Amino acid sequence: MSHALWLAVVASALGTLLMRVVPFLWMQRRLNSDTGLSNMPQWLGILGPMMIAAVLGVSIVPVNPNTISWLATAIGLVVTLLVWWRVRSLGWPVAAGVCIYGVVQISVALL
Amino acid sequence: MRQLASHTPIRATLKGVKEAIPLLGGYIPVSLSFGLVAMQAGFTTWEATAISALVYAGASQFLFVGMVAAGAPLWLVVVMTLLINVRHVVYGPNLAALLPRSRHWPWLMHGLTDQVFALALTRLPQLTAPERFGWFVGASLLAWGVWVAGTVVGATAGEAFTARWPLLGEIMPFALPALFLTMVAPRFTDKRWSAALGCTIISALLFTLYGWSNVAIPLGAACGALCFYMVKFQAQGSHA
Repeated sequence: MSHALWLAVVASALGTLLMRVVPFLWMQRRLNSDTGLSNMPQWLGILGPMMIAAVLGVSIVPVNPNTISWLATAIGLVVTLLVWWRVRSLGWPVAAGVCIYGVVQISVALL
Repeated sequence: MRQLASHTPIRATLKGVKEAIPLLGGYIPVSLSFGLVAMQAGFTTWEATAISALVYAGASQFLFVGMVAAGAPLWLVVVMTLLINVRHVVYGPNLAALLPRSRHWPWLMHGLTDQVFALALTRLPQLTAPERFGWFVGASLLAWGVWVAGTVVGATAGEAFTARWPLLGEIMPFALPALFLTMVAPRFTDKRWSAALGCTIISALLFTLYGWSNVAIPLGAACGALCFYMVKFQAQGSHA
């Protein structure tokens, strides 16, 4: 890799790091300041959960979208939701969802 | 050893490691793919690993190597990489009130990816204040370490790996939507939140399906936030 390319890697890395660090530190200072600006803006508190929901929407699309993978995704999500409804934790619902998703995919591959 | 394990910071770190394990279902296949794609684009194993370790942002890394391989000007490569990552700007402020002050944040925030943010925003409020720093260190370092290791494996043996277990690359990534579903489900608390979250999920899904995957997260979230405020406006209007 040339020097210019290394520079591009470092610039991309540094820029990305600053986008992660600076707003975090800025908000921590604002929360602890005596200026009266101690609360997080309401829109920011709404945007957080929306970001998680958006990551869910993006990740729902299967690696190779076709009828079988969409079917496996739908069944996997329903099973994940049902197990979550019962246990209300993160681990078991994910394990159950991945197992069912895999079973559907492998069953179809073996047919 | 037992004495060490009972020490709160270590226990909290181990808890973070344990709770970040479902993320690996998504990280391993994607980092393997990145290593493979980077090799095919003409990068060495060392270079691909350095990009993963330093930039550490999935979609933008693929764009970076793709644009470099296509001969795009380097300034444009950097600008596009940063534009894709600009969504990270809203992650930190959301976690600021949940995490203690520390001089280590400038380097620890390097681990704040989409997935780590989603996990942290869900789990941190459920933890005690002294546990949170250690939990974040454990969860983010595991994710980062696996991402880098996956790139190395992908760059050195990616082709053989995907040829031997072709279905693995399709099944493991399902851990991500399953995990995010368990994080989003408790937030369907009333009609207003349900409408906004549903709108976000569907719009992000559609943006991805129509080839806008690089901007699907911020655009989907913006659609949901807009829906949230519009539902409030309509409710107030009906009362008036």
